[in-house]
Amino acid sequence: MPGRQTARSRRSRRLAGIACAAALLILAVSSTLHARGRAPATSEKPAKAVETIPAPVKTYGSKSAPITLEVFGDYECPSCGGFYEYTLRPMISDYVAAGKVFIVHRDFPLAMHKYGYEAARWANAAATIGKFSEAEAALYDNQNYWGQSGDIQKYMAAALSPADLHRVQKLMTGCEMAVAPASHSCPFDAYIEQDKALGNMVPVEATPTFRIFYKGQKFPAGQGVVSWTVLKQFFDQLLSQ
Amino acid sequence: MSEAAAPVSRATPAESPFKLGRILLLVGRLALACIFLVAAYAKLKPQIAVPWSLSSIETSLSMFAMQVDSYQLLPPSQVIRVAHFLPPFELFLGLWLLSGVALRFSSVVTTLVLTGFFTLMVRTYALHLSINCGCFGTSEQLGPKTMLRDGSLLALSLAVTAGAFWFHRQRRSAALSSPSSASMTSQQSN
Repeated sequence: MPGRQTARSRRSRRLAGIACAAALLILAVSSTLHARGRAPATSEKPAKAVETIPAPVKTYGSKSAPITLEVFGDYECPSCGGFYEYTLRPMISDYVAAGKVFIVHRDFPLAMHKYGYEAARWANAAATIGKFSEAEAALYDNQNYWGQSGDIQKYMAAALSPADLHRVQKLMTGCEMAVAPASHSCPFDAYIEQDKALGNMVPVEATPTFRIFYKGQKFPAGQGVVSWTVLKQFFDQLLSQ
Repeated sequence: MSEAAAPVSRATPAESPFKLGRILLLVGRLALACIFLVAAYAKLKPQIAVPWSLSSIETSLSMFAMQVDSYQLLPPSQVIRVAHFLPPFELFLGLWLLSGVALRFSSVVTTLVLTGFFTLMVRTYALHLSINCGCFGTSEQLGPKTMLRDGSLLALSLAVTAGAFWFHRQRRSAALSSPSSASMTSQQSN
């Protein structure tokens, strides 16, 4: 009887050992596969942008606003300048201020514009320190000037305080004009490329292109300059529902 | 009996192109009617997942106003008026063409409308404005493709108009030459 018990306990110990080893093996294999599956998602953004600099906030208003307007623009595009001056600016001071509309800016610099990408870098750098609205206004207000000379910094200096300009200049290290777009040396290129990828999915065929979201529902994308009066009438129609 | 019935049922060589023309006119008219009905439907239908209602139609028309505005031709107040008038008018024109009533007039109105659209598209393209066509309510960029399509529709409309006038003249001349055959022709055309 004791001999049989010893044999049984030996067998059960062996079985427990095998079960533990199998569990460890399964755990190791599944964690490896999981890590492999997640690898492409983390490699989308350059490590530098994620680690050192917070994401630039290129929005106006409250996220809880019932209407969201997503605008894909190029700072050097004249139509985008017109859209900003005659539509977005009155909208910001009216419906955005009243909490009715939330504006999201997306960078979509076009290859045909020489300084459009550089301007987007400056805007992203300013957005990182919470000065996006100042930077955007400076870029669109002086589009005709820096669009010819390429001297964007001059107009940034006029729009920002010396301390803020210093911070932005520091962030712009590695983003010199000679640096080609979508470069790993400039931390903001990852965000610009992210916006462009999103735009290609819309698809953005010209700038400005905008999308309107209302209570989680998406309207077909619009293109070109739309006056504030007409856009306001559409927003009023949505809000009256 | 069979000898007497033969001329009525079989078309003579002179009547064959006449019949073919009538068929082509019918096809062209129905095609134009369908295009206008589809264009009106695309602009009036709810643009998001909501049921049809007066409010949804109003929202769709306001959305269409943005496309009209992007052409940069009219002041905002006129844009809203035009955007609220055009889709119901397209619906009316589609139904008018479908009915075939007073085809000469409906085809002339259609040709004028399409000429207006085509001229506007050419102007916009010449001004290098990158905008949505707004033709069928979708996010379709205005370009050579949309201009070719609208140009073809205009050509079709012109052909239908010419056909409508030609057949009207044929009926009139037939009525003047023999009153009995004219009444037969008018019965066939109705």
